[in-house]
This record gives sequence, C-alpha cells and structure tokens, in this order.
Amino acid sequence: MNQQLYDLAQLLLKGTDRDLNAGTVSSVVITGIVVVFIGLILLIFFVFLYGKIFDGINNRKAEKQRKELEKKLPSTPDVSPSAKTTVPVVESGIDDEIVAVIAAAIAAMSAKSGKKMKLKSVKYAKPSRPAWANAGIIENTRPF
Amino acid sequence: MTIINSFLETLADLARESGFAGFLVEGGWKNIIMILISFLFMYLAISKGFEPLLLLPISFGMLLTNLPDAGLYHPEFWDYTTVKEAGGVVNDHYINYGNILQHGGLLDILYMGVKLQIYPPLIFLGIGAMTDFGPLIANPKSFLLGAAAQGGIFFTFIGAAVLGMSAAECGSIAIIGGADGPTAIYVSSKLLSKADDIGVGTIALAAYTYMALVPIIQPPIMRALTTKKERSVVMGQLRSVSKVEKLIFPVLVTIVISLMVPSAAPLVGMLMFGNLLKESGCCDRIAKTAQNELMNIITIFLGTSVGATTRADKIITLAFGKVILLGVIAFSIGTACGVILGKIMYIISKGKINPLIGSAGVSAVPMAARVSQKVGQEEVPTNYLLMHAMGPNVAGVIGSAVAAGVLLSIVQV
Repeated sequence: MNQQLYDLAQLLLKGTDRDLNAGTVSSVVITGIVVVFIGLILLIFFVFLYGKIFDGINNRKAEKQRKELEKKLPSTPDVSPSAKTTVPVVESGIDDEIVAVIAAAIAAMSAKSGKKMKLKSVKYAKPSRPAWANAGIIENTRPF
Repeated sequence: MTIINSFLETLADLARESGFAGFLVEGGWKNIIMILISFLFMYLAISKGFEPLLLLPISFGMLLTNLPDAGLYHPEFWDYTTVKEAGGVVNDHYINYGNILQHGGLLDILYMGVKLQIYPPLIFLGIGAMTDFGPLIANPKSFLLGAAAQGGIFFTFIGAAVLGMSAAECGSIAIIGGADGPTAIYVSSKLLSKADDIGVGTIALAAYTYMALVPIIQPPIMRALTTKKERSVVMGQLRSVSKVEKLIFPVLVTIVISLMVPSAAPLVGMLMFGNLLKESGCCDRIAKTAQNELMNIITIFLGTSVGATTRADKIITLAFGKVILLGVIAFSIGTACGVILGKIMYIISKGKINPLIGSAGVSAVPMAARVSQKVGQEEVPTNYLLMHAMGPNVAGVIGSAVAAGVLLSIVQV
C-alpha cells in the first residue's frame, strides 16, 4: 500500500536527480511527515488500547484483593489496649475526617500484614523534597 | 664508491616510496589538512568529551585513511559499476566485493559492514537492549512528540534541494536532523555514491558532532519558544507498566512499522529484538552481550571504517560546508518542531504537559532528555522531567528509523 501511495504521487526520485523542483520537494516533505505521524499514531492507538486492557485486568485484580481484605478486616482489627489508648498528634488545620481516613488505611495495612502499626502524628509535608529523597531520585535516574 | 652510490640510491628510493613523498605530490597538502582535522576531532573527543566512543574511532580512521600509500582504504573499490545480472536485470549499483576481499586494505574489509548495512542494525540491537520503553508505554502520547521532532529531517530536505544538491545528498543530509548516528550512516551509506560530493564519513562526522552539541544547540531554542509558566509545569507521576506490556511492545512495534514502512524493518526490527531480549528476562547472557561486547566491537568497526571514508576530496569541499550548515539547521528545526507540538499538547491538556519534553523527540538518547530535565530544573529546581522526557526520546529513535525508511523508499539508488 505504501509503495502504491508513492507511485501514485510519482514520488520515486533517482539518487542522482539534481535541481529538484518545488513540487517534488514539497511532496517529499508532506509524504514524509504524514507517514511518520501515521505510523506513530497507529502505535499510540495500539499501545493505548493494550494499556487500557491491562489496566482493566490490574484493576479487577486490585478490586478482588480489596474485597478479600474487606472480608478479613472485621476479624482482625487491633484491639490491644495500647492501640486503643494511642492518640496521634495532629497538626492544626488538619480535619478529623482526614485523620480518620489515614488511621483506617493504616489499620487495613496492619490487618493485611499482621504487623502492629500505630499512627503517631499527622502533619503537612514540607513543600520541598528532602535531601535524601532528592539523592534517591538522582541515583535512580542516573542511568538515563 | 659503488657501495655508497647504491646506498644513497636505495635511500632515495625509500624516500620516494615513503608516505612523506605522498604529501609532496599534487593534492598531497589536502592530506596534511585532513590529518590536522583528525587531530581536532581527537581533541574534541578526548578533551571535550564529544561523543568520544564514536568520534575517537572516526577521527583515528580519518588519520589512517589520509596517510599516503598506507593502503588501508581504497575509495575506487567502492565505485558503482553497471553489470547485467542473471535474468538480464541491469544493476547500475554493483560493487565487486570479491575484488575488495582479495585486494582491499583493513579498513576496506571493515567498511563492507557499513556498505552491506550490517553495523547500524547491530548497533540498534545494542541500543534496544539498553533502552527502557516503560515511560513511552506509560504515556503513549509521547509518540507524537517523537514524530514531530522528525520534522527537522524533512524540512532540511528542502534546504538541501535549494542548495542544488542531488536527491541522494538531500536525503543523507536531512537524516542528520534525526540526531541518530547509526540511522544517518545507514541511510547515507545506501544512498551516496562516488558521484556525490559528500561521503558517509562527512555525514557521520556532522551527525556525531551535532549530537555532542545537543546541550548547547537545544536550550536557547527551548527557552525562546516557551514561556516561564510553560517551563514550570510539574508533570504527574507516570503509571507503572507491567512486564507483559513491556514484552508486547517490541513485538507490536516491529509488526506495525515493518508492515507500514518495510525499508525501516532492519533498524526497527533489530532495535525491538534487542529490547525483547532485555525485557524477556530469560536471555540475560545474550542481552548483556548485545549491550556490551557486541556493541563495543561494532562501534570500533563502524567508527574506524566510517572515518576512513573522510578522504580529503570529500571533506575539503564546499559541499562539506553545506553539510555543516544544514546539519545545525536540521537539529534546530527538529528541536523547534518538538517544542511547538509540546506547546500544543500543553494547551490541549490544559497545562498538564510541560512543552520542554518535546525537544527530547530528537533521538539523541539520553542526552536530549537530560537537556529537557536541566532546562526544566532551571525554573523549578525540584521538577523531575527526565522520565517524562525519556518517552519522546525513545519515540524519537523509532520515529527517525521510520523517517529513514520513508527516505529510502522515496529516493531510489
């Protein structure tokens, strides 16, 4: 099909051809850009498509895991006296609901892993990345 | 007395047959200039770190080929002749490889791998085995930026045609805009012949020099085409890509691109095969060989033999000046096209895409992505655009291979 396209546009140049006219050169430019874009757009379509399919599969797996976790949760909450009495230090301005959500997430993690976890404090993250985190990112992206 | 005369005559004969005498014959001065130019490129490679892995072998090949009477490389062996092949087909691009094997020098033999299109695909195999296509799979829109940056190739075709160059020369110079050395060598070695004013070595020199200059050429264009607000965009985290997706990708790209542009199949096919070796996880030994030993061996062969084609008659010409001029134009237009499409995507995505990653669409991997990262960090020091820029960057490698296939389909040898 590609070859036919070129033939149709009479766009077969001999390597030794000189004094290429404006029409021929414009055809080369337009054909070249269009073919490159079509090729890569086709790839976008396919990659996007299978990305969605795999996302769907992964989401289903995650959903299944979540449901399994929900089934397990009622039987495994940490009811030890220490867990009951620990009150997290909450920075001013943070809603109680937010603290509750974080505590619930930690309780879920605790139930799943079987390890005891406590929420000690809730505070806003500092706007800039800490030096160690920066060093970690630099280390991970160095090969590129 | 006779002994002394005989001794002096022998010395005189030796002097006449030595390479030094070769400098004194007509045009011999050009070889001296070429040797000095090879010293300049050696200096750039060793001292300035300009793509040393390739520029150093190329410059040493340049030195060897310009030593008079060394006989390492014979340009006359590579002239196309016309022969009638079996079935009465007339082949006007016939090279007598048997003659080269019998009478060729070391660099002639090594150059067969360039002319027979063996080395560039093998280099691509190694590149594929080293490349992580994850960022591209996670954000397939990056393909668009990789495609846009190939605009440099096709717009430079116009410039070369305006300067009265042949179709083969136009295609060979234009491909420099892809910022991909092996692709440039692949296209030019297929298109160029002795009838052209430029050689493969000229194209390779320009391509690798400009690739080394990416951190100098790109930033001013990127800053000129973007606003401070656009450069400050912090992009969200890329989704994680599963192993199966990474395994499907090389097979998919090979099938789609090879069916669409068959002449791009050797480059894209080997690039993706290398990547499949890496991602499969079951061929570690082969993947490591492709990444290291094979890649290094081919780099030595490719560099020295391509350097050997930089004979004085191909370099000390007006055409070389045109290549240098058009090469920088090709790089600049490629960068600009990528950034402009990045700006369009910035608008469409309502400010979620940083247009700086567009410049990484030229396929100088990973240099172009690093430049996007660096220019982005000038505005927001904590902004990490590197992984986002790697998407267009590796898309650019695929894009330039496709563009090479298109050029080879249009310009017939």
